[in-house]
Amino acid sequence: MKLAYYPGCVLPTSGKEYDMSTREVFSFLGIELQELEDWSCCGATAVYNMDNLLALALPARNLAISEKSGLDMTTPCPTCSYWLWKTQEEMLDNGTNKEKINKALKGTDLEYNGKIGAKHILEVISDDIGVNKINSKVIKPLRGLKVVPYYGCYIVRPPRKNPFDSPENPTSMDRLIEAVGATPISWDMKTKCCGGSVVVSKEEVALKLTYDLLKKAKMLGADCIITPCQQCNLVLDAKQVDVEKVYNDKIDIPILYFTQLLGLAFNISPKKLGLDKNIVTVNKLLNSLGLSSN
Amino acid sequence: MDSNIIKLKNCDPNLVNEVIEAGGTNAQMCFSCGTCTGGCPAIYTMDYTPRQIIRMVDLGIKDKIFKSNTIWICAGCHTCSLRCPRGVEVSKVMSALKSIAIKHGYGADDDPSGPAWYKSFSEVTMRYGRIFEPELMLLFNIKKSKNPIELIRSMLKDAPLGIKMLKKGKLSLLPEKIKGKSHMKIIYENIKRIKAEEDVCSVYLNKLK
Repeated sequence: MKLAYYPGCVLPTSGKEYDMSTREVFSFLGIELQELEDWSCCGATAVYNMDNLLALALPARNLAISEKSGLDMTTPCPTCSYWLWKTQEEMLDNGTNKEKINKALKGTDLEYNGKIGAKHILEVISDDIGVNKINSKVIKPLRGLKVVPYYGCYIVRPPRKNPFDSPENPTSMDRLIEAVGATPISWDMKTKCCGGSVVVSKEEVALKLTYDLLKKAKMLGADCIITPCQQCNLVLDAKQVDVEKVYNDKIDIPILYFTQLLGLAFNISPKKLGLDKNIVTVNKLLNSLGLSSN
Repeated sequence: MDSNIIKLKNCDPNLVNEVIEAGGTNAQMCFSCGTCTGGCPAIYTMDYTPRQIIRMVDLGIKDKIFKSNTIWICAGCHTCSLRCPRGVEVSKVMSALKSIAIKHGYGADDDPSGPAWYKSFSEVTMRYGRIFEPELMLLFNIKKSKNPIELIRSMLKDAPLGIKMLKKGKLSLLPEKIKGKSHMKIIYENIKRIKAEEDVCSVYLNKLK
């Protein structure tokens, strides 16, 4: 199996460990990821808040490049995955946007016909590869580890026609946690917003929403939280110290990408999974598994 | 008492369509059940609830909508859109309202951070073809700051996280320029042209009405 890999803007920089662990896990599972040539920003929701057509034209440029190679696309970023999906949806919908999207690409030598779509890596891993296969590949079961799965918004919302997981109560990561021998903690905040998209423009709102999530996870006795989203990860991990300061409450809970957790169970070294790049230290967690971050 | 009475002459009946054109859904489908408000995680700090905003879009009460902090606080989590029994994608109406506000420069005076963020993001994206975080943050701080002292204060506030990220190798100091950078300009110009044609069309259609 070979897929076009669209990292998205954040993965080469502040989401580096997500990029590293995704590549490692896919390589371990025998799936080749070919980075999409000369990919550009999908525009995300920020651009949608400026212009609704630009928000479709930017993903279309990337989809058109992928269409040339004939490879289906996958991305670790939930926001990118939504906008890439949405653009294909608009093309297949035969509405007014179909024509406008290619009009917007005119003069770039690219044309998008809606043949290629994109999936989030969580969908590829949990559905296309399958939880059973993941389970069969485990070398080092993560027994005793209590993990809170935090899905965030864009994995399940805005509403889609054929969602790969339940929008109100997703379970794909819960099943993956079980598959690697750890214990998923059931909670009611799986898809409650962390405020990631307003962390710059309305920081106090994001810190409040994040505090609620972190506090609940802590109260439930979690050893770590896992996410499939670099934006959620940024607020939960990098902003955790700010949350602690504002609410005068020590949280100190490691935030891992779900690919980092899978990687540990596949016995991939913590260094290769970028676990030394996490902001909240993961040393205690690694020690409990008999590992060190180097 | 009098201030609570909605005067029709102050309403814009075109707002509901303007919102649809800007990528929102039809606010007139709403039957005011309040499910959107009930599920909103950021409701505690909004001056109008999402249900009220949708109703005001339907009625065309522009001045209240664009003076409200609600559209900028909305984090676009889309819980409202998912749960709406009438198929109103409330969060997309919020996005459409943001884009209309930015286009016309509505309501950005007392808190310019919302418009400043979305403008900066789009500008950097269109310049390089990809997001370049240090410039994005600088541009955002310039746009939202009312004076140089505020700008310096904002930059200093961002500095510790920036340094932490740099140490971890998670921040690049140079933008990654894509080969197809020229595409960004082409796409932008194309969209400007398409929108201009549409504006001419809608002016014409309004005249026909």
